Order: sequence, then structure tokens, then C-alpha cells
Amino acid sequence: MKDILQELKEIVGDRVSASPGERCCYVGDASQVVGLPDFVVRPESTSQVSRILRLCGEHLIPVTARGAGTGLAGGCSPVRGGIVLDMSGMNNVLEIDIENQQVIVEPGVVAEKLNFALLPYGFFFPPDPGSLAMCTIGGMISYNSSGMRSVKYGTVRNYVLDLEVVLADGRVIHTGKKVLKSSAGYDLTRLFVGSEGTLGIITRAGLKIAPLPKKRKLVLACFEEAEIAGQAVIRIFSNGITPSACEILDRTTLQVLKLCDALLAIPEDGDVILFEVDGTESSTAEAARQICEICQPTAKSVRIADGVEMDSIWAARRLVGAAISRLDPTKTRIYMGEDVGVPIKEIPALIKKVQQITTKLDIPAMKYGHIGDGNLHVALFIDVMNKEQWEKLRLAADRIHRAAMELGGTVSSEHGIGLARAEYLPEQVGTEAFSVMQSIKKALDPQGILNPGKMGL
Amino acid sequence: MNLDLLAINQCVRCGTCRTFCPVFEQSGWESANTRGRIMILKGLTSGLQPDSQVLDSLNSCTTCGICTENCPAGVNPPEMIESARRQLVSTGAMTPQQADLCRNIFASGNTFGDARDRLSWLTDRSLLTKKADYVYFAGCMNSYRYTETAANTFALLHRFGATMLPKEQCCGSPLMRTGFDARRFVDENCRQIARTGAGTVITGCAGCYTTLKKSYPQDFRVLSVPEFLAERISEIDIEPLDLTVTYHDPCHLGRHNQIYEQPRQVIEAICRLKEMKTSGKAARCCGGGGGVRAGYKDLSLKMAKRRLEDVPVGVDYIVTSCPLCVRNLRDAGAGEKVIDLVDLVAMAIR
Repeated sequence: MKDILQELKEIVGDRVSASPGERCCYVGDASQVVGLPDFVVRPESTSQVSRILRLCGEHLIPVTARGAGTGLAGGCSPVRGGIVLDMSGMNNVLEIDIENQQVIVEPGVVAEKLNFALLPYGFFFPPDPGSLAMCTIGGMISYNSSGMRSVKYGTVRNYVLDLEVVLADGRVIHTGKKVLKSSAGYDLTRLFVGSEGTLGIITRAGLKIAPLPKKRKLVLACFEEAEIAGQAVIRIFSNGITPSACEILDRTTLQVLKLCDALLAIPEDGDVILFEVDGTESSTAEAARQICEICQPTAKSVRIADGVEMDSIWAARRLVGAAISRLDPTKTRIYMGEDVGVPIKEIPALIKKVQQITTKLDIPAMKYGHIGDGNLHVALFIDVMNKEQWEKLRLAADRIHRAAMELGGTVSSEHGIGLARAEYLPEQVGTEAFSVMQSIKKALDPQGILNPGKMGL
Repeated sequence: MNLDLLAINQCVRCGTCRTFCPVFEQSGWESANTRGRIMILKGLTSGLQPDSQVLDSLNSCTTCGICTENCPAGVNPPEMIESARRQLVSTGAMTPQQADLCRNIFASGNTFGDARDRLSWLTDRSLLTKKADYVYFAGCMNSYRYTETAANTFALLHRFGATMLPKEQCCGSPLMRTGFDARRFVDENCRQIARTGAGTVITGCAGCYTTLKKSYPQDFRVLSVPEFLAERISEIDIEPLDLTVTYHDPCHLGRHNQIYEQPRQVIEAICRLKEMKTSGKAARCCGGGGGVRAGYKDLSLKMAKRRLEDVPVGVDYIVTSCPLCVRNLRDAGAGEKVIDLVDLVAMAIR
């Protein structure tokens, strides 16, 4: 191992560590999946990544890429040791090309910082995960993340035009061109999006950007039960309205939101749907009015917010996933079964099933998420020192995953498979489709050094 | 190690702190970020050995508290880190810089190991009355490095009946922040304060303030100079100055004690205030606290340089109310443009 350390130092200088303390900091993400790396390396260029992969290929050293480590499925956990490639140091916005509606960035660029850079031009990168302020573009691409505005704007997949990727043997390829559309050969760009570092290491990305909307408005609709709220969402979409965000917050979530910001004027006596609409002054006014009209017959209350109040509600919403401990400091939110998704019309059924599962197991749960695209985040929280609660948690997560699949849905809408959900992938996609994935993996990484063990591959 | 597992487990490793930690901003290594430090604490409870890299991780935290302010899970990392430092020190695990700092303070009663009289700047000792309503607690930095600020502060406070301790000792803050027992100094300062009969202790150092307020027996009221001045500014004969200044919030006045408005009230009574790019609860740390300046000077100054990028254009002075911040920001390149709030008041006094 000392020789490997020396060789890594020759490639990246002092940007490699083998100290026990540093390695301890890179065991994983926010999931329960952990693995101790032998080395942490922080490359600064594509050529360094290429040399590192060649070295790893020669010595059969596992390589696990990592952005900000904000994932929720163990995607960056080095479960077979080896090298963690911390890509967050490659964080330059290389080109802002407004005329072509594109940017070229390194993978370590933090999504929010990209948006700060685009703000003066009146443009933005629309995918909007809750971790926008810290997650990196490379991580977002690798897990096809999306977030609150995907209901209108789509997921990261819709915005990636070209990737520079270092393959397992150190070769460097580009998957696309600087064009908004292309019909030339297999779509390698989309192959690498969501591949979780199992097929190559992304070192550069060309992304499509969009103009910022002139106006946003938020409709807060409060319902007696989450199921009734889910039905209202279906009616909104059936009426041809596409909100720019459509989020559900159950009673527990609302309590936590209040703890994050005591001044928030949100109802607490029901389940709330936040419908955001964006566009022009008149189009948002009209859409907000229509949403209010559709919700009113079944809602306990409906009102419209905008400006600073709307910003405060969204800011608190971003925090809520990790904030459950504020409700009960003896309990910790554990990210398991947290990212299921179903066809929109099955949302009420999913909510009902999740309620039944958690009630039966007597495990507290907070339900929130991007209900507009069928994605429900279930936050289970337990006393992590209590073994019995761990058992219940695992059982609940498994049942939630299976419930989503039974409803024709997915075990992960935007957080990825990693290792946390690997066991479900063959069942969800089918054994034949899974064997195609295995063949692709084998073709691109024959020695199995890239993020081994992930996605069940 | 017997660390607070409940607090450690409260961290969900979401990584929000990566956006805010000023040390991580300079370093880029996860061990220099709050989340990494908490993972190291967890490691220490299960066999990780406190080698020099682990000590550097835990000791390079400025305890600025911006992670606490922004942590969605409500974790208080500075408290956890200080607790870990105490336990490590109790087992003899410390950096050479920590050991030097401790030796200096125990040898001389001040952080510099300076054998000179702490009150050398005070020419008229008759001003030190034995009994008084207020005690001005100068602190090590102002006593030895910024004696003009100490003199200006005492001149102001003496008008309201303040005295000083004849043999003031280090408040103990540097010891407590870096994991050492400071009871000897707490007891000695308390004994002298009691002798004056004062009900209120006023200090111009943010580090002394938070220590006197939170780690001393609650036998007297503790006020920072900005709090006192904000209450009494109307009683001081000042002349408005044609200046524009900005204000740097010291972490131990702001985030640790919510003193945001008072210094601004004083400034606005004198001149124009233009806020820094980040201010109040969101103010970026100068990098000087938590023992970081003493232990990791280069890192500390890099943070100070970064803080100076927040200074708005067109200001005459960068005003603050902590001598540690004054030193770090001056040494990072701002020089004499950085002044204490009291120095601004002194300029305005007719």
C-alpha cells in the first residue's frame, strides 16, 4: 500500500491522504452504508483522474467517486475499500454560453453556485434538489437527481448535453456535442446519467440552462387527510395545469417546519400541498386562481403567498428532511425507504399504504415530497441506540419499497440505488433488463473496479 | 472516549455544513468540515486513535458556530468539539501549540507568556478605585497588544464609575476553548471582582465576554462594551463623523450571544454604516477564534483574507468589537483600517 500511496502522490501531490482520521470522514454519505477507503484522493484535472484509473486498473484497486457526499443510498460509500475520488475540488464553471443556452462545468461545481453565476444573465439550471446549496453537479448527474421543480422542468437527465468521462482503463471520451439535440448513435450521455460512478468518472459536463421565470406564486392548500390532498393533486393535473412545484407536507412535517422557522404562516391542522406556479405576472395569477378553485371544495383552507413569504416557506422546506431531530432530540432521521415513487394517480394509494405500514409497526414517520411527480419522501426516525427500533425501521423500509413496486412504481425517484436499494433493482426492472445492465457494466468496466458492489452489479 | 453519543447521532450527515464552514472553505478536506469532525468524534468512540491528523481536525475548528446556526438537525458542533478537546487533553493528547498556549497562560496569566505588568498602559493608577459599580475587564489582547484601545475603553467607562482589577488574569477562554481546565483563573478573577463590590463586569473582548457570561459563576452581570455603549451613548458628548464604516460581527458576540444590534446602534449614532457581504447571523468568521490563530496561523490568516473579501467598497474603516478579530483582519492585509468600536467612539468624542 505504501507503493500505491507514493504513486498517487506522484500524480496528485499532497492531495492524497491515507490517514485513519481522513479515511474515517469518507466512509459514506447520509445513508447507513459505510466502507473504509484505503486512500482519499482529491484530483484537480481530467489527466490526473485518467492516470489514477490506469493505476487502479493495473493493481485492481476499487475506485469510488464522490461529490459532496450528500447522497442517501450509499453511492459514494467505498464498500470494498480502495480509493475514494473526492471530485469536489474540480469546481470551475468553465464556460457560460448564453447564446447557446449552455454552460460547461467541472463535476465539483456546487449546484447553487452555478445558479449564482447564472443569475446576472437571467438564467438558471432548473434541477432543484433539497441539497442544492451543497451538492455537486457531478453527483447530481450520477444519480439523475431532480427535486422540487422536476414536475415542470424534468430531471438532470433532461439537461445534460455532453459529458467528458474517464473510462475504467483511463481513456477519456466525450458523449455528446455542444448542441441542444443530436441523433448520432447510441445515447451515451444518458447512459452515464444515473450510472452512479459504475461506468466511468465524469470530469466535465455540458449542460442546458433555462431562462429564469419572471414571476412565481405559491398556493398553500390544507386538507384534512393526505389522501384527500393526493386526489386534489390529480385533479389539478387532469385540468391541464402544470405547477412548477407540487409538494406535500404532512402534519408532522408542518410541526418540524415550524421548529425550523417559528414565524412561518403555514397551517398545522392538516396535510398541506404547496403548488408553485411560475411564468409571467398574468399567467401565474391565472394558474394560482385556477388551483385555488379546484382545491377549495375539498380543502380546509387555501391561500396564495409570494415574495419573501414564499421564499421563507421554500427555505424551511429545504431543511425539513434533516430537521426531524428538532421535534424529538432523542430520535434521528434514518434515510431508508425514503424515495419511493409511483404513477401520479396511485399517490393516494401509496400514502395510505405507507400510513398503514408505519402505524402497524408503530414507527414515527414524516411524509413529504414531490407529490406532483409521484415521489413521496418518507422520513422514518428512531432512537439509534435501540435495536428493536432498528428492526422495525428496516421492516418498514422494506415494506414501503415493495408497496411502491406493487403500485407500478420505483424504489428510487431521485436518490439512486447505491447499495441501500440494490437488492430491489432486479425485481423492479426485471431480470432480463438487469442482465442488460450487467452486460453494459462488464463491457465498460471488465475488471469491476468502478464503484464495485453498487446497484447490484 | 466518553463522548456524547446522543449529540453525535443527531447529525444525519446531510453535509449542509459544507456550505458554511470557513475552515472547510479553505481546506477542501472533509476532516476540516464540521460533518467530518463529527465523524471523527464517532470514530474516537470506537477505536480511532487521536493521532496528529485527528488532533488537527478537531483543533482547527474556530468554534465560530455558523454550522450550529445553519444545521437543520439542530446539532451544536462547537460544544461537541470543545468537549472532545477537554477529554483528549485530559489524556495528554494535544498538539505542541496547545501545550505552549497552556504553558504561557499558567506561567504568566496571559496568552502571550508576557511577564510585563498587565496595566503598563495605565499611567494614572489613582483611577483604580477599590470599590466601584462596574469593572472593566480588559482581557489579554487589549492589555498587551492593543493598549490604546484598552486606554480608550477605560477612559470611557471610568466616566460611569468603572474600575479595573488590580491583578486581572486571563479570563480562561483560550484554555477552555482548547480543552484545558481554567478554574484557577476563573477563581482568581472572581475573587478580585467580588472585592470591588461591582455588580457588572464590562469587557471589550468577545472571547472574554462569552467566557465571563457562560463559564463564570453568575454572581455579577456581564456586559459587552457595545451593549454598554448602546445603552449610554446618549450620555456621551459625541460629534457625528463624516465617515462610512462597515462592521464585522465577532462570532462570540454575534452567533454565540446574539449581540447584533447594539454595535450597529453605536456606529449609526456616529457615522454611516455599510454592511459586509455576510453579516449578522450569517457573518463569516475571521478565522482567529477557537485557538486556531495560535495553532494554525496560516490557515487562520487565509480565513481572515477571505473575510476581507466581504468588505464593501468605499468604507473608511472596518469596525469590530473583538481584539482577536482586529488582529487577524489587520494581519491579513487590512492593517490600520481595522479598528475597535471604542476607537471609533473615541474619534467622535468632542
